[in-house]
Amino acid sequence: MDLTLAEETVPREGFLLVEIDRFQGPLDLLLHLIRTQDIDVFDIPLSKITDQFLQAIRGIQARDLDGAGEFLEMAATLIRIKAQMLLPRTAEDEDEDPRAELVRRLLEYEQIREISQRLSAAEADRARRFAKGFNPPRPRRPVAETPLETTWEEVFDAALRVETPEPHRQHRVTPRTISMEDKVVLILDSLRETTRVEFSRLLLGFEERMHGVMTFLAGLELTRRRLLYLRQTKPFAELWIYRRESPGEQAGLEGGEGEETVPAEPSEPVNRAEEGAPEA
Amino acid sequence: MNAHQIVEAVLFAADAPLTADEIARADESLDEDQVEQAIRFLKAEYDDALRSFQIAEIAEGYQILTRPEFAPYLERFDNVARPSRLSGPALETLAIIAYRQPLGRIEIEYIRGVGAAGVLKTLQDRELIDVVGRAEGLGRPVLYGTTQRFLEHFGLKSLEDLPRPEELPVVLRERTPPGPDEPPAEQPTAEAPSASEEEGGERPTE
Repeated sequence: MDLTLAEETVPREGFLLVEIDRFQGPLDLLLHLIRTQDIDVFDIPLSKITDQFLQAIRGIQARDLDGAGEFLEMAATLIRIKAQMLLPRTAEDEDEDPRAELVRRLLEYEQIREISQRLSAAEADRARRFAKGFNPPRPRRPVAETPLETTWEEVFDAALRVETPEPHRQHRVTPRTISMEDKVVLILDSLRETTRVEFSRLLLGFEERMHGVMTFLAGLELTRRRLLYLRQTKPFAELWIYRRESPGEQAGLEGGEGEETVPAEPSEPVNRAEEGAPEA
Repeated sequence: MNAHQIVEAVLFAADAPLTADEIARADESLDEDQVEQAIRFLKAEYDDALRSFQIAEIAEGYQILTRPEFAPYLERFDNVARPSRLSGPALETLAIIAYRQPLGRIEIEYIRGVGAAGVLKTLQDRELIDVVGRAEGLGRPVLYGTTQRFLEHFGLKSLEDLPRPEELPVVLRERTPPGPDEPPAEQPTAEAPSASEEEGGERPTE
């Protein structure tokens, strides 16, 4: 019936550069083709519309198989109707146009679309009127289905607030470069001018935990050699390191005048510490 | 304490629309007519006094809502209730259900030409639709209908507030018998009757 239309189906280039994602589905696309070309919906040129429809859905990606299936189903329907119209019709179904059901669906869908636009307007009107208080939260959906309500500005701000971890905090196996001998020298040096020193003061300037460990071991070693003693008033309180004066002198001699004994000794403990370190 | 004061107190304290019947439970002396009379009185009073709120008729009931022109001020507050807008597919699906309820998923999909399972779940989660029954036939598929939340979301007094098909630019005739590829469809039961007249705001005589 519409054989002549086949010649004029080559559409203007560009007109059919249809962005398929913009459409809610095949009926939406079909309506778009019909309405933008001022086609009489009760006399659809099937051949022309089918060709345009097929060309429009050519861009559908295979990744969207569900969506593609819906468009392909409509394409098959169009082709079937087109074929029915080419066949000579018998007298009894002459009054039944093969396009009738498609037209009915298109008109129905167009009406639904119109109603949904009215609903959208009603929704916007309602959203401008506020009830007292707050709405109870909606039933919680699984995280995967919950749309992201965060703006990019918030994500960006949050990213800026994240502190980059310091490189030295990462766990790395390194050879031990901190020796107990150095810590023995450090303790004895700091006790040269005074009789006592806080353990924490000895760690100032050192960040690695191993400095604390080696300083403590050095303190224990020197205690074992009876060169000093450790005192702590209660658990987790500051640990004080006291210089031990020569036996008999230590009582009441915390004023700091012990220089005559201590300076002579650093060299010797250091040597002995070399033997003691592996055991500790 | 007179009737309109009691009605006002109940409406003020409510966080959802209340029907006249529900409001009348506040006091033995109240009946539905008195409640409606009191609401007309309050409406006129709010209008005369240029109050920033009014009594809206929503979901067969009444609710105190701010006037739309105050939206810009309220929208500055993050914790003010602001229901999220529905997507295009959700609105189309709701439109189908509102006019054709009760109906099943297959018929909705046929009308829109696309799958509806995901949209239906979203609408059900938001309590805008609910399962209202089951169809006869194979598998007895569930049938959906709109809820009171649907009316509240769109600020509708009732389903009769929806435009009648003949008011729309596209006139939909009577459904023809289903085609060969159309599933058996339920007969549409929800013909949109005449839209009800909005209650006038005249001040009662008393």
